[in-house]
Amino acid sequence: MSEKKARSHKAEKVIERLGQKLSRQIAGSMVACVHCGMCTESCHYVLANPGDPTYAPAYKADKIRKLFKRHYDWTGRFFPWWVKAGSVYTDADLEELKDTVFGKCTNCRRCSLNCPMGVDLASFNRMARGLLVSVGVMPEGVAVVSKDQWEIGNQMGVLKEDYLETLEWMAEELQDELDDPQADIPVDKTDCEVVYSINPREVKYDPRSISDAAKIFHFAGENWTMPSEGWDMTNFGLFSGDDDLGGAVARRLYEKVSELRGKKLVISECGHGYRSTRCEGPNWAKQDVPFEMESSVLTMLRYVKEGRIKVDKTRNTTSVTFHDSCNNARSCGLTEEPRELLNLVCTDFREMTPNRAENYCCTGGGGAMSMSEYTPRRLKSGKVKADQLKATGAKVVVTSCHNCVDGLADVIRHYKLDMEVTQLVNLVANALVIPEKAAPSAEEKVAQEKVAALESAKPVALPLADLKFVVADDEPDQLAFLSTVFEDYGATVVTATNGDETLETVRREKPDLLTLDLEMPGLNVGDVFETLRKDPELEDLKVCIITGRPELRKLIYDRSVRVPEGYLDKPVTEETLLLTVRKILGIHEHET
Amino acid sequence: MQPSKFLYFCEHGLQEIALGIMALVYTTRIIWFLGFKAGGERQAPTGSGDADTRKGILYSWANIVMPWAMESTRRKPFFYAQFVIFHLGVTAAIGLSFLIPYGHYLSDSREELQEGLLGGTAMVWFLQAIIGAAFVVAVVRIVRRVSDPYIRAISSPDDYFSLVLLTVWFLSAVLAAPNQFAEGEGYLLAFFILTAFFLIYVPFSKISHYLYYPFTRYYLGKSLGYRGVFPILRR
Repeated sequence: MSEKKARSHKAEKVIERLGQKLSRQIAGSMVACVHCGMCTESCHYVLANPGDPTYAPAYKADKIRKLFKRHYDWTGRFFPWWVKAGSVYTDADLEELKDTVFGKCTNCRRCSLNCPMGVDLASFNRMARGLLVSVGVMPEGVAVVSKDQWEIGNQMGVLKEDYLETLEWMAEELQDELDDPQADIPVDKTDCEVVYSINPREVKYDPRSISDAAKIFHFAGENWTMPSEGWDMTNFGLFSGDDDLGGAVARRLYEKVSELRGKKLVISECGHGYRSTRCEGPNWAKQDVPFEMESSVLTMLRYVKEGRIKVDKTRNTTSVTFHDSCNNARSCGLTEEPRELLNLVCTDFREMTPNRAENYCCTGGGGAMSMSEYTPRRLKSGKVKADQLKATGAKVVVTSCHNCVDGLADVIRHYKLDMEVTQLVNLVANALVIPEKAAPSAEEKVAQEKVAALESAKPVALPLADLKFVVADDEPDQLAFLSTVFEDYGATVVTATNGDETLETVRREKPDLLTLDLEMPGLNVGDVFETLRKDPELEDLKVCIITGRPELRKLIYDRSVRVPEGYLDKPVTEETLLLTVRKILGIHEHET
Repeated sequence: MQPSKFLYFCEHGLQEIALGIMALVYTTRIIWFLGFKAGGERQAPTGSGDADTRKGILYSWANIVMPWAMESTRRKPFFYAQFVIFHLGVTAAIGLSFLIPYGHYLSDSREELQEGLLGGTAMVWFLQAIIGAAFVVAVVRIVRRVSDPYIRAISSPDDYFSLVLLTVWFLSAVLAAPNQFAEGEGYLLAFFILTAFFLIYVPFSKISHYLYYPFTRYYLGKSLGYRGVFPILRR
């Protein structure tokens, strides 16, 4: 039987499409490796798995390179065994390749920068991912996220109404906080100087970063807007290697900015979003972009330098270090501006070693956060990052990347580091010197005093008063923390520590909100969630997932029932907890 | 005293045929390689305002002589020194393969060459020292390739064969360097036959990496220079 006949349909397509994906750069990387092994120790997977050569960049590269050698290179065509050339024949071969290109590499590009020959493994690893994706071989998470980005327009499946509602919500929060009705989040305003695009993670898990950015734009007096559609600056095409998806997502964003006649597209802090939108997008979309694009880090820095916003660094006195996102540092050269800004808004900045383009991956790069099957491997490789973080002695790690926020949070949690992760936008917003309003006239002052006297005479209304919460968690510390916070704000709290108890307690108490840990003994938490969702008596029940195991999310989100109203990663702060709970329950800040 | 006809053929005719084949294969290789379309960049440059494609390319090319530029070479100075010695040895042995047959054009006669450029003089010692050191490095590299599990896992028969062959070639070059054909032509014949074999084999093996080096580093430097990544900042 000939080799061609023995190949599965998918394998056949992979070989066929390989030729279409080969650029001169990729072909160069395929032929130039001399197997010197200099790249080996540049990879965090290798460092965390001593003695296992299957993680070595050159080894992983050879898994892809062998196809090129077998089908394109002379020696490999005629004497394949001599140069270890080979092909893929079965779907199992493709699965094995998938394990390497998705599960053993985050495309961080660190090895590329350490190769004396200039072999860019990250680029052709991405190409190999694209080949596999084109025949439907990919981790489940990659399939789900890609589908969301194709069909819904953003990689987290955030619906337009949820997005707009969150913007509205954050605008109201900001107005309440600043007591200024002018502090707004404009949507689809035309002819603005700045169109601000964000990561859907901000809508779903971190809306505070949206209001912080809005606060900065407001005080900078910026003429800005956010688009109602095409607002997702992330692009899963970068991770999946699917250039068609990459082009489609980039075009959506560019077209919306053009439609709004925006002068500049500002990209919120996100490494892969910045790289995809700013650097790769025009190439994937095969179109020139008629407006400027910049990272919000540069925007914020410019505001400070131009005196458009004033900052007081003494408001951020906790020791901080900076984690360079791989995409920012190794693919876009964005390394100095974040540091300049950090030094303007923090009093104690400590450099991480190594740093800038030599920094190690957060472990969450290359879409790794969406591939739950590789989580144990990812967390093990996080040892390198954990050691690096620990050595700084800092209490906070700042990063300009949402992916890194999640990756680092996981590493911090797994290695039990006493650290928090934050972004520059949060630090800048915290350091903002808010101009004092003009002093009130004598009459206004008297009127204000009267109102204040009346207010103080009223009993203090706690924001969560009259609400009943069920807190389900098997960790006593977590249970105590959540219960205390909710009770301090007036809620009645009933606790549950396993799956069966949660089901029983919620049915009995019919609470307004259930906070649900994903890993508890007893009945499977996913089943508990589904049962509660299907209970007609609990139609109004709001659920907020609070978990330290994000890889277990699919226990909940893969079910054909209404998704939870909220999601939080542990460790959770009191501020984030309250903000999320208020959002879920529709309680505005002024009501508190 | 003149070398035998066979040695003369090995030093001249054989080398010219092998060089011709090599040039032909390399030319075809380059044409094949350039047949792949080069990707370009449509976006505006990134980096801290001083992104420069040209600077990136030069930096990338010069990487080879800047061991401090890459962490992989910075952390392994001994390995980098091996790399330098090994490649100097290759250069010296290649030089020797031209010097012996054609060096006499610099002199009046083959005898003069023996007495002059390669006549037990400092030049012979110099070449032998470089090539000999390269031979030692090559042996170290064989040991490393066999004993290091990471390197063993990525090694192909071509890797082993190329390295062993180079090692033997270095040895033959050390022995052939004095060019004492009157005392026996064995070393010289071994050296020139191996050289001819190499010239034909190299384009089909990993040893042809030097052909691609300027291209791979050019494109990496071009892209990363444009994006403000190269030259890498370390503070």
